[in-house]
Amino acid sequence: MIRDITIGQYYPGKSVLHSLDPRVKLIVTFWLIVVIFLCKSFFSLGLIALTAVAAAALSRVPAKMILKSLKPIVIILIFTAILNIFYTQGGETYFSWWKIEITEKGVNTAIFTMIRIVSLVVISSLLTYTTTPTMLTDALERILSPLKVFKIKVHTLAMMMTLALRFIPTLIEEIDRIMNAQKARGADLETGGLVERAKALVPIFIPLMVSAFRRAYELAFAMTCRCYTGGEGRTRMKQMKIALRDIIAIIFCAAITAGVIVLNHFFDAVI
Amino acid sequence: MSYTIETIGLTHYYSKGTVQQVAAINDVNLKIEKGELVGIIGHTGSGKSTLISHFNGLLKPDSGKVLVDGVDIWKDKETLKKSRFKVGLCFQYPEYQLFEETVYKDIAFGPKNMKLSEAEIKERVMRAAAFTGVKAEHLGKSPFDLSGGEKRRVAIAGVMSMEPEVLIFDEPAAGLDPRGRNALINLIKDYRKQTGSTVIIVSHSMEDIAEMADRVIVMNNSSVAMQGSVDEVYSRGDELRAMGLNVPEITEIFAKLRAKGLDVPQNVYTVEQGAAILRKLLERGSAK
Repeated sequence: MIRDITIGQYYPGKSVLHSLDPRVKLIVTFWLIVVIFLCKSFFSLGLIALTAVAAAALSRVPAKMILKSLKPIVIILIFTAILNIFYTQGGETYFSWWKIEITEKGVNTAIFTMIRIVSLVVISSLLTYTTTPTMLTDALERILSPLKVFKIKVHTLAMMMTLALRFIPTLIEEIDRIMNAQKARGADLETGGLVERAKALVPIFIPLMVSAFRRAYELAFAMTCRCYTGGEGRTRMKQMKIALRDIIAIIFCAAITAGVIVLNHFFDAVI
Repeated sequence: MSYTIETIGLTHYYSKGTVQQVAAINDVNLKIEKGELVGIIGHTGSGKSTLISHFNGLLKPDSGKVLVDGVDIWKDKETLKKSRFKVGLCFQYPEYQLFEETVYKDIAFGPKNMKLSEAEIKERVMRAAAFTGVKAEHLGKSPFDLSGGEKRRVAIAGVMSMEPEVLIFDEPAAGLDPRGRNALINLIKDYRKQTGSTVIIVSHSMEDIAEMADRVIVMNNSSVAMQGSVDEVYSRGDELRAMGLNVPEITEIFAKLRAKGLDVPQNVYTVEQGAAILRKLLERGSAK
């Protein structure tokens, strides 16, 4: 059922990761993702993987939830692993048959890329597990606010994002309602070829658009009535403040980066 | 004897298989006879909307059965599809389901899905439009250019044009002004009188139900709490209040009049009834 789609996978909690400043979290996440791609040897990548596991433990998000976030990428993982095994050649040959050769380098590259992708997904999903979508957009607004110099309306963009996120569940409910109403009039949504199915979406899509515009107008009125005039002179109810733990997080990140560079230097590169 | 709609042990859960699993309806056994006008009342969340979504197979029961004309609608795909046309369901705020370029095309959507001939479709659209009071000159217009009340008429015509054996309305008068409400109630009554079809009205307005229904089913806590004639159900005011419902205002007024010593009946549920009784009383008074 359409209702089962979850967007924004915030897992409520009070861990250190939850209480970090969202700006710091956002920056640290991007930082670590860049560092993942700097890794060249198993040792430096191991350090990152260890960091990801430690962060996951620190977040107190159940391991089951984290594994769930890995589920959608299983196919990608298998696919890249297979490609790497067969297309990267070099080193000792483990297995050879007809034109297929599996070599040491191939296996190593496959394992390396798999660990890399898994760490990437774990780290980025930890960000969304421990930060609400609203906090994220707020943080994004603050981080991007220097762009105001170039006349980019950062506040407006952030507000649009917040509202879009807010209305996703509402619109999903609306789709559900419209689908039921059209099904009750005998609309056939399940059978037929591609063209027929696309056509069958029209009775759902049009009322959805109409209601989305209606809601947008209503919301705009409601915001105007409450004197919303955009970002100019607007203050926040929840001020973001950098605390000691945020500074520690940044120092920690810098240490990992240094560690990765050092380990890259001393051990053989896999890729 | 087979009933138009019969449910046997009908149960449906929400969030099935998770910790939040709740029964939306639990072991509902109902029999609805051909040609009846049944009102289903219950407070918000009592399961009435979930119940009617089972009558035309929009929801699949987790256990139990729904029989339409004695046949289990989940028997096979063909039966399920037919049940959609046999049992017409008009949702709350039906005007939000309009989508076609013209009013005519929108009313024709249901009959078209029934794969009827062009001529038959035209006949049905004209009939439904005339019945619901959709003006002929509006048929070529875009439904989005109409007023709210007109939109609702078009949407109801869109369900009526399928000429179902059973027509279900979910809160038909929601959001209408008193005149619109009265017009709609008369429309539903006329429809039933003319076609003899079975009609089911879901509402939490005790007045609306009292004005239309032959029989009332009260839903509470996901199951049927009471059923019977309007008199039978409405006379149990205290029990209704305990379920978060209320007897109509006019009934309360008459109860107070009785308490003041006036000789008025207890079973007054609609304003028209009340007005007639008071008029008689006044005439008697002035004759003295």
